[in-house]
Amino acid sequence: MALKGDWEALCASPVDTLFKWQNQRFLWLLMAAAAGGLVFIAHAFFQNYLYMPPCEHCVYIRFAMLVMAAGGLIAAINPKNIVLKLIGCLLAFYGAIAGILYSLTLNKIHYAVHNPAGDFFGVQGCSTEPRYPLDLPLAKWWPEWFKPTGDCGYDAPIVPANVTLNSLQQWFVDMYTASGGWYLIPSLKFMNMAQACFLAFGTTLAVLIAMVVVWSIKAARANL
Amino acid sequence: MQSKFLRRFLKGALCASFLAAAFSASAFTAGTDYVVLEKPIPNADKTLIKVTSYDCPFCYRYDKRVTGAVVQKLGSAVKFEPYHLETKAKYGPQASRLFAVLILKDQASGTPLTDDKSLFMKAKMAYYTAYHEKAERWDGGESDFLKTGLDAAGMSRAEYDAAAKDPKIEEMLQKWKAGHEVAAIQGVPAYIVNGKYLIYTKSIRSENGLTSLIKELSAK
Repeated sequence: MALKGDWEALCASPVDTLFKWQNQRFLWLLMAAAAGGLVFIAHAFFQNYLYMPPCEHCVYIRFAMLVMAAGGLIAAINPKNIVLKLIGCLLAFYGAIAGILYSLTLNKIHYAVHNPAGDFFGVQGCSTEPRYPLDLPLAKWWPEWFKPTGDCGYDAPIVPANVTLNSLQQWFVDMYTASGGWYLIPSLKFMNMAQACFLAFGTTLAVLIAMVVVWSIKAARANL
Repeated sequence: MQSKFLRRFLKGALCASFLAAAFSASAFTAGTDYVVLEKPIPNADKTLIKVTSYDCPFCYRYDKRVTGAVVQKLGSAVKFEPYHLETKAKYGPQASRLFAVLILKDQASGTPLTDDKSLFMKAKMAYYTAYHEKAERWDGGESDFLKTGLDAAGMSRAEYDAAAKDPKIEEMLQKWKAGHEVAAIQGVPAYIVNGKYLIYTKSIRSENGLTSLIKELSAK
């Protein structure tokens, strides 16, 4: 019911409603929870439970998501505080844009690696050492989360020989092995990891732009 | 009158600069197509070094479809020297040692290292196929890993252990260590010409383009 009311308010007066929203904690927390949640699922479920090791660009994508999440949390401390909101926005924009670029590169690598007969020229594979912005030694500090252990372009499960999977694990592992990696719908090979991440970053960027535009319109009107 | 003269002069200058550009033109530029190494690999004149690792997907793609063809097109202009990176893959040091043994054997028999009959090539392709096509990770350990390459090259473990003691092997492995730093620049595969010019993999657009770039750099 509340959702319906919000939607109607958005349609009736988009600028005012969006302005109200970006001044509230909810959207900022939602962004932080979504970005942080995706990284958590990638690590706990896909990497640890299903033995799908992350590649170099996958760990960069995690980094970008967490920067976005940090931005959301900072803005959510008090969205009406301009300084906090600016810091939050800067981090969120940086995370979203960097994430989009990482996703595009990963998508190119994915295609080059999954189409052996196709053209792989013009694509740079993975480095021997991950390099994070500002030379942050994240792979050393939190290797579990930020050290690439997979090969670039591959994300299919690699189960060590001494591990016995339970039936649920086996079901998932079989599904992703059959599709040759992660897909939103593995049986159809629909939307690979890079494209799904692109969608997540792209959606966030669109919402961020909308919020900032509305914020600027209101600020400009207030000064007129 | 004056403006006509000026126009003619400008036209002439424009033509001259175009001609000059055409003559001095190279399709390749430092910084875009390749980078000049700050610390060159010594004693590598007229060589094409290729640093690879068996667990790298693009090394596999390039070795399967590009390297051999390019080396053949280059002919005797440059000497092809494959380096294996021991620092990347789980069995990197074991693979490097085995490849060094097989390269020495190939050199002794005069078999080119890009030839299908080369023992090095046979073992390398066996590792690539096992790792990239069959998701083999050799959980059984080192001997399991070595078996894949030795079987492909048709060499027994005893024969390998004896051959691995040759001091020339250690020499080759030491030489390959120079590839570590170069590999850190943009990853692998890394094509290096004359030990001085590292080709940017992302700028390689075709087999012919890569061949011309190597030819141009080797003549520098």
